[in-house]
Amino acid sequence: MTVSQLHSKSAPKLRLKGVSKEFIAPRTGQRTLAVTDFNMDVQAGEFICVVGPSGCGKSTVMNMIAGLDTPTTGSIEMDGAKIQGPGAERGVMFQDYALFPWKTVRDNVGFGLRHGTAGRGLTSAESEDRINHFVELVGLKAAEGKFPHQLSGGMRQRVALARLLANGPDVLLMDEPLGALDAQTRLLLQVELLRIWGETGDAGDRKTVVFITHGIDEAVFLADRVVVMSSHPGRVSAVIDIDIPRPRGEHIRSEARFGQLTEEIWSLIRDEAYRAIA
Amino acid sequence: MSTQATNTISTAALPAWVKAITLPLILTLIWQAWAMTLPENSPAPAPLKVVESFIALTASGELIWATIQSLGRVLGGFGIAMVGGLGLGVLMGSSRVVRENLDPIVESFRPIAPMAILPIAILWFGTGTPAALTIVAYAAFFPLLINTIYGVSGVDRQLVRAAATMGISRLRTVFVVIVPAAIPSVLLGSRLAMGVAWTAIIAAELAVGAKSGGGTSGGIGQMMFVFYAYSIDLNGIVVCMIVVGVVALMIDRLFRLAERFLLPWRN
Amino acid sequence: MPALMRRQDPSAAVSRSNSPSGNRASLDASPAIAARSGMRAAALHIWRAQWFVVIRAFAVFIALWGLAAYLVASPLQLPSPGKVFSAMVGLAEKGELLSHTLISASRLAVALGVATVIAVPLGFAMALSRELNAYIDPIVELLRPISGIAWIPLGLFIFGVGGTLPVFIMAYVAFFPLLLNTVDGVRGIDRKLLAAAETMGVGPRARMLHVVLPASMPSVMVGFRIAFASAWAAIIAAELIGSPSGLGFAIEWYRQLLMSPKVFSFIVLIGAVGYLCDLVLRALQRKLTPWSEGMGIGA
Repeated sequence: MTVSQLHSKSAPKLRLKGVSKEFIAPRTGQRTLAVTDFNMDVQAGEFICVVGPSGCGKSTVMNMIAGLDTPTTGSIEMDGAKIQGPGAERGVMFQDYALFPWKTVRDNVGFGLRHGTAGRGLTSAESEDRINHFVELVGLKAAEGKFPHQLSGGMRQRVALARLLANGPDVLLMDEPLGALDAQTRLLLQVELLRIWGETGDAGDRKTVVFITHGIDEAVFLADRVVVMSSHPGRVSAVIDIDIPRPRGEHIRSEARFGQLTEEIWSLIRDEAYRAIA
Repeated sequence: MSTQATNTISTAALPAWVKAITLPLILTLIWQAWAMTLPENSPAPAPLKVVESFIALTASGELIWATIQSLGRVLGGFGIAMVGGLGLGVLMGSSRVVRENLDPIVESFRPIAPMAILPIAILWFGTGTPAALTIVAYAAFFPLLINTIYGVSGVDRQLVRAAATMGISRLRTVFVVIVPAAIPSVLLGSRLAMGVAWTAIIAAELAVGAKSGGGTSGGIGQMMFVFYAYSIDLNGIVVCMIVVGVVALMIDRLFRLAERFLLPWRN
Repeated sequence: MPALMRRQDPSAAVSRSNSPSGNRASLDASPAIAARSGMRAAALHIWRAQWFVVIRAFAVFIALWGLAAYLVASPLQLPSPGKVFSAMVGLAEKGELLSHTLISASRLAVALGVATVIAVPLGFAMALSRELNAYIDPIVELLRPISGIAWIPLGLFIFGVGGTLPVFIMAYVAFFPLLLNTVDGVRGIDRKLLAAAETMGVGPRARMLHVVLPASMPSVMVGFRIAFASAWAAIIAAELIGSPSGLGFAIEWYRQLLMSPKVFSFIVLIGAVGYLCDLVLRALQRKLTPWSEGMGIGA
């Protein structure tokens, strides 16, 4: 039973209805329709990947779900309530990690707890415990006193992940988090990501994830469903169910179904991607 | 970064140029009002009197002549600095050994202000143009040197290697790869050097004028000193100050224009 | 599930791979040869050492200076290194070196303090409020090209000859780099850092204190170093022309007395103090903002 079947009766965790975004250039007044008529339901505990050619508005959609930007038309709801702005319940992991360079690994992870809403109601001992838990979960206990500039790309990514999780968000929004890593590290971290997300555990305990990526194989490996976007203007062109059972190990990459799904998605994007480089 | 609730008069809608002149205008008016409270023959400078003085000095040609003199010295000193600064800069930029050995000396002289060299220059050349030239050359030397070193040593090694794989000789590579790659830094160094050179000439002329008792060295700085010590013409001093600022601005804009023209690939 | 993350972090791996025996290839067995090679290795090590290069450079410089002094044979215009050194010792014994240095340094400290207290908060305000910037920036840009030096004659009239003039000139000169670098620093903050804080539910005041302030620190520090260098140069001019004390006064005073070795002594002192202060500032910069890469002044 897939996650979608499990929760199909209950209200979606995230609902985007008729969302569009138009940008107006400040000096010239030029209007650009970045995203149009975007509809998407994300169930609680689902892992959704969004793929599409460059410039199709994936990041714009993510910014709107995060509350960093507001839709021109349409609505975005979480748990039935309209989103007003950014908040700790929708944690974000940015493409270049956005780690605070003047803080150590530990202080970065604990930043939201110290200064943000997630830390309210927690004693300092409880906060410390939480920070410890997540620093260990991502395997950075040995490096927790280091600064970001002393870390490798893979390590920085893990700090960003720990920081994201430490704030206890319901929804995890990730904008190409593995994009800056080399291909080998990326493969390893995909497996790690699923482990940390709790793939092996109870389906009900998992966080909802919206994950943007350029890598189609990455999307197929990670997601329950893949939302395929096309560009100019950005919109949903297809939603593909990934019926590969969990837990997923590295071996599934060599299985036939994996290749079929990857090809199916790529065929939807290929023409547009080609036009982008021509 | 944050939106403010406008509960008072909103001035945000005023056009940019109005906002730009508001503060200067208000300050000038206050200044003029203050000056008018003083007796008629007070030496204190006033905006209207400054304008009068400007017109008089320009009409008599003194201002223009003094500016040309100062600029001439700047260019002369700059030229000297260029020969030394570029030459040594290329040498130090291309050879790590040379750079390591000369760097301590250069870094020790850098904190010594150009004006500190003035007494030595006067001891050598007496008060007059050669001393002023020395100060200007000394001042312009460091930005030129440092930026040239940076430009030459910072040439992307990949570019040099790419040239080698295309069969370009090492000597030719210097001219067609290293020099063009270093030009942006050299231009930046020149702009900075001209800036400090202009400041240095004013300072030198001021000081030399003071030491030689308002001698015939000429130039804006010297003129300022005469206005201070002899004719007690404060309005004239202000005119000179404004000219100093305007010329500095023009030099800077000119160099930036050159940068944009010669280096279109830099945004 | 294999714990992939349990491997050691990369930095440990790198240090382990370095051979502990150093870079030199192993030498022959003969003890005599080994001893000589050991000494040669040691000598080479010293020759290449940083501090030795500096000493060597200075030694060569002083030697050339001595040679030039000998050839020029004009003790007034180019005193020999020996004469300058003994003049320095004499001045140090009489306490003159210290007194003039302290006077100039204290003026510098006051001027930098005043400039920082005005420029840094103003810089923050201007970077954060477009309105304020629109009003204040024009007058800043109008005054900036007028160098501090140009203010000396007018300043002499307002303050007279004395200690206030150098302080005013220095504060003026230090003001602009501090202001501009502060504004640049705040404007140049990575927007993603602020967005990240927002998504963690960090409120605007906390964002100001815990994101904007630390993130702009590197730029402010660079501005401070530039301000210091400019002020240190300006004080010489200001004191030379219009002050009865301080290092700038001293070099001019002794020039008029035609006592070249003392003039040179003070010039050396000016360079030394400036250099040492810059070292201190660099160390401070490293301590306060260890993550910033661009440490050089650039001009």
